[in-house]
Amino acid sequence: MNRKIHLTVNGTARSVEIPTYRTLLDCLRNDLGLTGSKEGCGVGVCGACTVLLDGKMISSCIALAVSADGHAVTTVEGLAGDERLHPVQQAFIDAGGFQCGICTPGQVVSAKALLDAIPNPTDAEIREWMLGNLCRCTGYYKIIESIRTAAQRSRA
Amino acid sequence: MNAFEYAAPRTLDEALTVLREHGEEARVIAGGTALVTMMRQRLVSPGYLISLHDIPGLNRIEVANSGLRIGALVTHREVETSPIVRERIPVLAETFRRVASVRIRNMATVGGALAHADPNQDPPVTLIALGARVEIRGAVGRRELPVEEFFRDYYESSLAPGEVVTAVVAPQLPPASGAAYVKFLPRTADDYATVAVAAVVSLEPDGERCRQARIALGSVGVTPIRARAAEALLAGQRFSAELLQAAGESIKGAVDPLSDHRGSAAYKREMAAVIVARALTQARDAARATARGTR
Amino acid sequence: MAHRIVGKPIGRVDGVEKVSGEARYSGDVSAPGLIWGKALRSPLPHARIVRIDTSRAKALSGVLAVLTAKDLPNILVGRRMFDMPVLARDRVRFIGEKVAVVAAADPDIAEEATTLIDVEYDDLPAVFDPEAAIVAGAPVVHENPEAYEGAPAERPHANVQSVLRFKLGDVEAGFREADRTFEHTLRTQLAHQGYLEPHAGVVAIDEDGRVQVWASNKMPFRLKELLSHALQLPQEKIRVNLTPIGGDFGGKGSLMDLPLAYHLARVTGRPVKMVMRYAEELMAGNPRHPAVITLRTGVSRDGRIVARSVRALFNSGAYAAFKPAPSVSLGGASMGAGVYRIPNLWIESFCVYTNNIPCGHARSPGEPQMVFAEESHMDMIAKELALDPAEFRRRNLLKDGDHLANGHHLEHVRASDTLEAALKASEYSQPKPGPWIGRGMAMTHRHIGVGFTNAVVRLGVDGRVTLRIALPDTGTGAHLVLRQVVAEVLGLAVDDVEIEMATTDDFATDSGVGGSRVTHTGGRAAYHAAEKLKAQIQAEASKLGVPGDSLAAVARAAAREGRTLEASHFYDAKAHGAVTSFTAQVAEVAVDAQTGQVTVRRFTTAHDVGTVINPLGHQGQIEGGLIQGLGFALMEEIKTEEGRISTLSLGDVKLPTIQDIPPLTTVILEDPVGPGPFNAKAIGEGSISSVAPAIANAVADACGVRILSLPITAEKVYFALKEAVREARLPTEEGRP
Repeated sequence: MNRKIHLTVNGTARSVEIPTYRTLLDCLRNDLGLTGSKEGCGVGVCGACTVLLDGKMISSCIALAVSADGHAVTTVEGLAGDERLHPVQQAFIDAGGFQCGICTPGQVVSAKALLDAIPNPTDAEIREWMLGNLCRCTGYYKIIESIRTAAQRSRA
Repeated sequence: MNAFEYAAPRTLDEALTVLREHGEEARVIAGGTALVTMMRQRLVSPGYLISLHDIPGLNRIEVANSGLRIGALVTHREVETSPIVRERIPVLAETFRRVASVRIRNMATVGGALAHADPNQDPPVTLIALGARVEIRGAVGRRELPVEEFFRDYYESSLAPGEVVTAVVAPQLPPASGAAYVKFLPRTADDYATVAVAAVVSLEPDGERCRQARIALGSVGVTPIRARAAEALLAGQRFSAELLQAAGESIKGAVDPLSDHRGSAAYKREMAAVIVARALTQARDAARATARGTR
Repeated sequence: MAHRIVGKPIGRVDGVEKVSGEARYSGDVSAPGLIWGKALRSPLPHARIVRIDTSRAKALSGVLAVLTAKDLPNILVGRRMFDMPVLARDRVRFIGEKVAVVAAADPDIAEEATTLIDVEYDDLPAVFDPEAAIVAGAPVVHENPEAYEGAPAERPHANVQSVLRFKLGDVEAGFREADRTFEHTLRTQLAHQGYLEPHAGVVAIDEDGRVQVWASNKMPFRLKELLSHALQLPQEKIRVNLTPIGGDFGGKGSLMDLPLAYHLARVTGRPVKMVMRYAEELMAGNPRHPAVITLRTGVSRDGRIVARSVRALFNSGAYAAFKPAPSVSLGGASMGAGVYRIPNLWIESFCVYTNNIPCGHARSPGEPQMVFAEESHMDMIAKELALDPAEFRRRNLLKDGDHLANGHHLEHVRASDTLEAALKASEYSQPKPGPWIGRGMAMTHRHIGVGFTNAVVRLGVDGRVTLRIALPDTGTGAHLVLRQVVAEVLGLAVDDVEIEMATTDDFATDSGVGGSRVTHTGGRAAYHAAEKLKAQIQAEASKLGVPGDSLAAVARAAAREGRTLEASHFYDAKAHGAVTSFTAQVAEVAVDAQTGQVTVRRFTTAHDVGTVINPLGHQGQIEGGLIQGLGFALMEEIKTEEGRISTLSLGDVKLPTIQDIPPLTTVILEDPVGPGPFNAKAIGEGSISSVAPAIANAVADACGVRILSLPITAEKVYFALKEAVREARLPTEEGRP
């Protein structure tokens, strides 16, 4: 069965007709052309598909697109707003917080949500918030450093 | 995933009507974390999904008889961060906090978790130890029963066809009591438990003897279990290493774990005893702190 | 020697696309009319295919094609040994083997269609254990393996894919000379590389009939060759367009599903995308080989190793196709000799066919397995000799002029320095802060990778330089390293050097990424190309009478004469046997006496390296490899029984999370003696292999039990402790089970 859904994506109203079985991730990637969010594990564990739904982090690979009807979605492509890069994204570049980059969209979306909720997080708070964002390349040390850097810069 | 019809009714009555109409073909969906994952893996293929998420009134956390009524659509994250829950039944907030990751907790609901009936989940264990009750609505009306009686088998609750969970009601701890939820996960922090224990310990006025204990365990059988034999051993007794040891031995006999990726049945049986002792100790310490007014 | 740009921890300025989500990996590539492919996989480990009925699948609305082996040419594929069909033809040999493939309008319809394909199988006897597979009378996985192209000649048993040997001296004589002999057998598990991007590829046949390919493959030229062979097309007909890769770690060098995507594209006339689900990666990716390794070491009275023999059995699964080495084996077997001078050595390593998931290369192929066994073995011997493990190692470490198992003579050996640095930084000899806390060490070494690479550097009229290469970006930061090299040579800022990704049309060949070779081969190619360009610039400058220090001016002047300044270099690295890189690590762990849970309290890693071109990227490689080693040590395992894998998601196979990383101390011993540009060496595979034995040795130190198989789970430690108490090897203490 197909459904027409209306949602706000990165601040822009979008409408799209999709089968009910379409995940939010596949809808974003294939129907709306926003390939920044990635499918990794496909079971909501790795976080590569993280987007914000009404400002909250979710796993878009296990969310139905129809459940986003009438809601607002923010993807990695929408983090920077009018700037080229959001400060979190810049911090990941400067502190070496990514290597292959496949987990990076999920990491920066989650990190932005973290700093919105907790502007000055402790290491423990960073580790708890980011638990659901796996990375296989970096060993996480520089992801923590990137988030600390972003937090420091926003305080300065 | 298979193709399916999808409805998002705006009232509970409408949802129940549609649910009854479609019988076995229909499944209710709330947060969807468990259901969509299972559908993607083709473990279930319902022809009809009824989403509850547009139904008002099911996502409230309210004080009820000095305990709390938590609506079925309240998310794990909402329970975890709710000031009312943290104030009145902190062990419940702490338990929901242990589930998976923040991201999953943003999506997964209280009602959905109960209906999923996975014995490896965290919230049911604490809800049983607290003596919580589930409120259920079906086409024929409403009913309620203790969470302890809600689970029948692996992935099987006692929801009859056409019924949905609408709320869970958890009492506050009795006076002079403390509670603890201990989740043993030797692999990673986002895992299901190898063994989980929730304990509520109520002390005698002397602060030394256990008046009553309630102990529940997760991941040690096809449903979460209540360890009544161990509780009986503790009632009226002075806490000691021997007492905890005896409680642990009794636990080993009460559980029937399944071997899975988080541990063999033999290991889980051993760990049930170890973790029960830890949970009881923590609950007792919390009870003492309450009694001293330091909590 | 101080450089201007080389040695600076420059951030990944090439990463704007990655942090913004603009980078297009092969799974992100689209094309007009794109359709989706999905494979049906065998549910049985070994069976004859009796009949396949695709009619119900073909009838499903939205399905454009369904193919089985009879629709395809009878061609076997592989990376070195060609023993694997593109679709199972008359039999299946492992659970997960592809039996049919569907193309449909969306991936869900394609998947639905696979459930409508009816296959009738006839069970065949299967074998799963490598020991059982090589006894007389074992079920045979391949009837005539000697007939396969690329098959090694030696075959002691039909189920042996390959035998790899290393020999020094006379091991039997050595054992006779030894005062004491010790033997241990250790095991390691099936584990996935864990890249978060599953294999993905798009194949489109363009109007000129050329096959355009986008694939998560780190060796595009080899891919082109292999595709040419598999599709029976001349190489000129194929163009591999490079895309960034979401993690390789050795696992992305094969054809995987690309031939099927091609045939679907051919049959439907549409571009086809095939993306593996992670469950498919865990069932049919090409994971790290499980191993059973027996080491026997003879030592003299004064703790010197006089002889060692090693027998390794790698459970290679149903096909040899995923192994790229000429030996069709795993080079890491040579690490049976460790970092030690062993005058009499015999290593024999077998890759064995079984009806399990076919395995491939993973970061440091064969080494984490072998080094776990070997370094655990060293500690167990040290204990028997009542020697401190550090002291036992000191008495046996390699020195300048020694040679390795593969015959290479070594120079600039810093094994001893590296060990001492790790011991010092980890406070190894300090008293431990409490009971049930232990420290353990392990060492390894890793050669610098070799291969061949083309590079072209071109000077633009704006004074900026473009470096054109065909090395894919697998995430290591190598592209930035190459830019730094070129910038250093030409006196530019890094921002003035841009990478231009070539396709396979642009160069004749390149050995691609892998084996820790890119800094070496790519770096030297870029370096020499830049040097040539520098000479050209200087020549042009004097010819045209333009000051040579303004590159833009020189370029513009040359352009007015119709000339573009461009230089190229093809670098073919010969094996640099004389230099290797040592790693020494120390783990400090705490063991929970009641549950057996192991927590790594802190970790120290010391590396003997060449010139470090980018310290930030270099450290990133160390940290990443180390945490992969930690996962391998403590938690990662693909569980399989009778050929059936039960861990089919990352909820079942656990990879380390951000909460699992220990406080880390890194010691870098920089020695500018490498073969890479500015005397760099390599680092990509330096930190992974010795993590597991360091942890195993620390656990033994903490609680007296020795875990002989990976992963070191709490359960294993718990039951080992119980057994030790029962056998009265350990005193009962309060808190012990």
